[in-house]
Amino acid sequence: MNLEIISPNKKLYSGEVTFVSLPGTDGSFGIMKNHAPLVSTLKQGTIKILQKESGKNKFDDESAEFKHSLKDDKELTFEVKGGVVEVNNNKIIVLAD
Amino acid sequence: MANLKEIRNRITSVGSTMQITSAMKMVSAAKLKRAQDNILQLRPYANKLTEILQNLSASAENSSEGVYSQVREEKNVLIVAVSSNRGLCGAFNASVIRKVNVLIANDFKGKNVSVLSIGKRANDYFKKTEYNIKASYMPHNPSSVFDDLSNFEPVAEIAEKIMQSFAKGDFDKVVIVYNQFKNAAVQILTTEQYLPVLPPEKDGESNAKADYIFEPEKEKIIQELIPKSLKTQLYKALLDSNASEHGARMTAMHKATDNAKELQKELKLNYNKARQAAITNEILEIVAGAEALNG
Repeated sequence: MNLEIISPNKKLYSGEVTFVSLPGTDGSFGIMKNHAPLVSTLKQGTIKILQKESGKNKFDDESAEFKHSLKDDKELTFEVKGGVVEVNNNKIIVLAD
Repeated sequence: MANLKEIRNRITSVGSTMQITSAMKMVSAAKLKRAQDNILQLRPYANKLTEILQNLSASAENSSEGVYSQVREEKNVLIVAVSSNRGLCGAFNASVIRKVNVLIANDFKGKNVSVLSIGKRANDYFKKTEYNIKASYMPHNPSSVFDDLSNFEPVAEIAEKIMQSFAKGDFDKVVIVYNQFKNAAVQILTTEQYLPVLPPEKDGESNAKADYIFEPEKEKIIQELIPKSLKTQLYKALLDSNASEHGARMTAMHKATDNAKELQKELKLNYNKARQAAITNEILEIVAGAEALNG
């Protein structure tokens, strides 16, 4: 499934993932393949993702900052202050603050 | 023909003006790059936010009308005019001011119009008119947001203030007039309805049918998302305007430099003509003098 994490300043991540864990306002939750459509707000916390494939090609060019330090990691984490997530049809969009 | 010294002075002064304009052009080009990056990075965020809101409202049976989407009779209208703090950028600010005046004269004729100007240029103009909103209305000087545009907070404060006034009923409609950034040479003057929130266009696509799980309840999410999207919308308008400003200044300064070059070329030609004439005169005098001696 496809994941995009976008903050007002830049696109943080875009790629194929197998698992995402998000800090929802009503508690942390995880999303795997074929999750039902969902909209939730996020509170301060950590987003954890498991990449489908790790390696340099799996990273979006726009997120050049992460390219080197994270390219070999299968598991990535992002700190967020809040935000919204939308899951629909195996496409996850996280708008992080 | 003007005398030599005069022309020489003019050539020097045109030359130094040219240096200034071309330096300003470089500065604008550098600033444009940064401003452009900012707006291009914000756009996907803003678009996705709108998309989510649209999906939300589309899946809603009875679209929950918040305070911010209440459509009332338009008696009191607020126009937010976004200009720049500095001049020398062509028609950039003038076109915003003109557009606001057109709106007041035509679209909002006979209504109680207030103008909130962001940016010193529009402020200088509108503070002399009856439409200008009181300075005490804002918690801080709205024009100061341009000092540090990477900071979202001051913009959010302005947005909040506008939202409060709308909720209280001080204004029944709020529109933003700003220059949208297309590319370095092209700015599109845009008038955007800010409040009440326009109902999202229902495009009847399949994703609208999706049965969403909401966490927490949908009302809460909408309540949280709408202010957020409004703040983002204002921030986007400001970033757009900022990028446009640098683009406009770059173009204006480029033209000024070109004009200066042209002028300098013409002056040099005149100078050489005058110099040539002076030399010819001198030779004539010498020859005439020699003739007189020989005679």
